[in-house]
Amino acid sequence: MSETLSKLEAADFINRTFKPLPRSYGDALIDAALKNARIVCLSADLTPPTETDRFRDELPDRFHNVGIAEANMIGIAGGMARSGEIPFVHSFCAFVTKRCLDQITMQAAYPNLPVKIVGFLPGVATILGVSHQAIEDVALMRSVPNMMVLEPSGPQYHAAAVQLALEHDGPVYLRMKRPEKITEDPITQLPLAYGKGVVQRAGNDVTIIAAGLEVVEALGAAELLSHEGIDAAVVDMHTIKPIDRDLILERASATGAIVTAENHNVIGGLGSAVAEVLADAGIGLPFKRVGVQDHFCEGGSTDYLLKKFGLDSSAIAIACRELMKRKT
Amino acid sequence: MSASANHNLREYEQIATRLRLHVVNMVAPSGQGYVQQGLGAADIFTALYFGEANMDPANPTWEDRDRIFLTTAHNTAIFYATLGERGFFDTNLLTTYVQDGSALEINSCERMGPFVEATCGSLGQGLSVAVGCAMAAKRQGRSSRYYVILGDGEMQEGQIWEAAMLAGARGLDNLCLIVDYNFVQSEGPMDLVMSIEPLNDKMQSFGFDVQDVDGNDIGALLDAFSVARETKGKPSFIKANTLMGKGVSSLEGLMFHQLRFPKEVADSARAELEAKLAS
Ligand SMILES: Cc1ncc(C[n+]2csc(CCOP(=O)(O)OP(=O)(O)O)c2C)c(N)n1
Ligand SMILES: [Mg+2]
Repeated sequence: MSETLSKLEAADFINRTFKPLPRSYGDALIDAALKNARIVCLSADLTPPTETDRFRDELPDRFHNVGIAEANMIGIAGGMARSGEIPFVHSFCAFVTKRCLDQITMQAAYPNLPVKIVGFLPGVATILGVSHQAIEDVALMRSVPNMMVLEPSGPQYHAAAVQLALEHDGPVYLRMKRPEKITEDPITQLPLAYGKGVVQRAGNDVTIIAAGLEVVEALGAAELLSHEGIDAAVVDMHTIKPIDRDLILERASATGAIVTAENHNVIGGLGSAVAEVLADAGIGLPFKRVGVQDHFCEGGSTDYLLKKFGLDSSAIAIACRELMKRKT
Repeated sequence: MSASANHNLREYEQIATRLRLHVVNMVAPSGQGYVQQGLGAADIFTALYFGEANMDPANPTWEDRDRIFLTTAHNTAIFYATLGERGFFDTNLLTTYVQDGSALEINSCERMGPFVEATCGSLGQGLSVAVGCAMAAKRQGRSSRYYVILGDGEMQEGQIWEAAMLAGARGLDNLCLIVDYNFVQSEGPMDLVMSIEPLNDKMQSFGFDVQDVDGNDIGALLDAFSVARETKGKPSFIKANTLMGKGVSSLEGLMFHQLRFPKEVADSARAELEAKLAS
């Protein structure tokens, strides 16, 4: 039993398997840091849960755990960025945005400094409950001038997201979800182009524009719909700001109906961003936002929450069917 | 005569053991959780909920109740076990802990009921709320007392110090902070991340009456609460030094924020606690 006891430390609630999960983001950050000596890493006492434990161990003089003090961490990052560093700051999405919005606006965004704000536990997808759920963070970060907002759709894009964050010479909010299970095959990293959404599935009847974990749900919805003769396209809008205006307008004219899907409140996030592009262009068309319908949520397993709060593939499919009726 | 002499300590110790057994049984099914904190804080919860605080489980919204704010809202196994044993709800509900749909979430929130005085899963916020309640009580002439259980890691949040400064400046003697000083935060031992020492000197300089007690000694805790109650013109700060895993010999002193809790470890912990209850 003593052998068991020495292995009793559990990193976090994300990893329920006790086998090491891939650290796509953490590994990519180390690779970037080895190439760029300006990169430093900050944690507010959430190091393994933000995949920065390897960074802590391998580049200790460039790693700072500043304690459980997120607002202070942003101010510190602003100071470091003014001094030539490129700080990547880490916590859960809720704490690294909502809790320090004022510090973000004044000490990172207004001086347009390269502070890269990295959050895990996006949206409702956590057992940790309402205090740890970030359903307002995209809205907040999107409304901050100079801020770029990125939400890759899976670990295969985490390295590309680090590159995009570095390409943007200013503050960035990078919203990510760790895998919950170990995958059989190693994850192959895929590229992303700055400001360009990825068409993950072609289709002529309706376009689902999704971000983050909703991309997988959207692909599931498109699959369901294909059996009913509805040909749905899926766009992975990994960069929510600056948003790919051209692609949205092209999709509007190609399919004449748009559903957005986001792991976030429907106010102020991806759905709002897409609606703004359409309205600004004077386009009215059948349109629906799948997301949290402006209420607080609760903790639970991801599948349970996506179903309960209408964020799963079947909810997206229902929205698409409705639009198909409105089209005719 | 000390206050603890008035109480039946043996009975309280039995309660604390029962609470520890609940913690083990509640966390075991998910195979990981806040076991170490729960076992470590069982004596604080026993002393506060069963000995000190003035409350009525049949009337949880009673206006003149004492309020207890658990600001380390993740320490829920011991919290829910305490509420159940104290009679706020049926202890059968404890088996739903951390299950989909259950209000007994890993982080406590007020959808559970009025005995969650504020939703505190975001660390560092609860003390401010308690200060606000304590100030309102003063203005309204209420006799309620306000207890806050803080984490030592949580005390790194700046908001704690803003709230403490105001509590000291206003002399809120209806407020009593208890820090669960288990010396562990998420990354590991506190001094590995950032020391908050000398903590007692800091709190004293912020205007608190400071007591340093063994947080696993129910009698010492009860005495400290009664000193706090009798202290006028100042808020109280109790540094309760707790041992992670207290009461289960194989777990005592394992300084892990989250513990893997495989079946064989849970079984032996359960056996040890059951034997203690029977003795
Ligand atoms: C604002 C905020 N930042 C980070 C976290 C994540 N977190 C949960 S518990 C914890 C460590 C808490 O340590 P301590 O206060 O000592 O509590 P203990 O577990 O020892 O009782 C952290 C960093 C959080 N819940 N809230
Ligand atoms: Mg602690």
